[in-house]
Amino acid sequence: MIQIKKRSPIHFKAGIEKTEERGRWTVVLAYKDEGPGPYLVDLSHKTRWDLQDKNLSGFNPLGREVPVAPGACHLQDGTLIYRMNRTQAVIWQLNAAAAEMPGESAYTNVSDVSVGLALFGRNALAVVEKLCALDFHDPRQKPPFLLQGPFSHIPCHLVLMERGQGHDGALLLTCSRGYADSMAHAILDAGDEFGLRAAGEQRFNDWLERLSGHQRQVDR
Amino acid sequence: MALTISCPVCGKRNGYEFRYGGEDKGPRPDEKGLTPRTWCDYAHMNACVAGVQKEWWCHKNGCGVWFTIHRNTLTNLEVDGPEVTS
Repeated sequence: MIQIKKRSPIHFKAGIEKTEERGRWTVVLAYKDEGPGPYLVDLSHKTRWDLQDKNLSGFNPLGREVPVAPGACHLQDGTLIYRMNRTQAVIWQLNAAAAEMPGESAYTNVSDVSVGLALFGRNALAVVEKLCALDFHDPRQKPPFLLQGPFSHIPCHLVLMERGQGHDGALLLTCSRGYADSMAHAILDAGDEFGLRAAGEQRFNDWLERLSGHQRQVDR
Repeated sequence: MALTISCPVCGKRNGYEFRYGGEDKGPRPDEKGLTPRTWCDYAHMNACVAGVQKEWWCHKNGCGVWFTIHRNTLTNLEVDGPEVTS
């Protein structure tokens, strides 16, 4: 029987240090010389579902509620749910284990048609400002929140996950798969002056764990 | 002139994020008794108002929603709030 391998549309030039076979994916856990940050991590192997229905309030993906307002996000146990408009939401499983997709026709697995990237760490939002005119520093918006618009001239879903001191922070972005390499190249080029490097999934998991822990403390 | 447009989902954005969808000409004419002339007028003829007109826009680089705004064609400024239609 032929085993179909899945490949990320992103190809970082950095040398690979550690990989892991996960289902049909070969996931890069660490690259050589990742540096102190900021980091750019390829999340294309993470499962993303599109949920589309005229009555989204009737759905509970993975036992969670869909945010009501467009732009609102919920992050819980490594799963991010964001609302795009009246009829659409996305469920992005950022943790390692992906759940099985519900059988309802409102769900579509869009993991293979898009590219996912995480840009986080020191001065990460300074890199964002070089490529995007959208206002991620709006004090009325509390992270995590979604903006839909052009990033490096490409229509993207942009989720600001964290906003720290100065320009520190974290942004998740997705766009069509065909733009993957150009997008990664543009971001790495813009982030060169800030020391931006490609990083493996382990770096992202550590950051997500820290963010989730911080969020749990705030929720209490 | 720089145009900004208020998307009902994303808020005020740069006009370059949007696709123009033409003047709002009201509902499609009833097919009963529809003549080629009437249909041609509906599909192709525009009022080309020098002033405020109601028009369709799509936030193609953003949320993808179609909506109408009122725009003053003389000043290229939006003059009224958007209406969600989809």
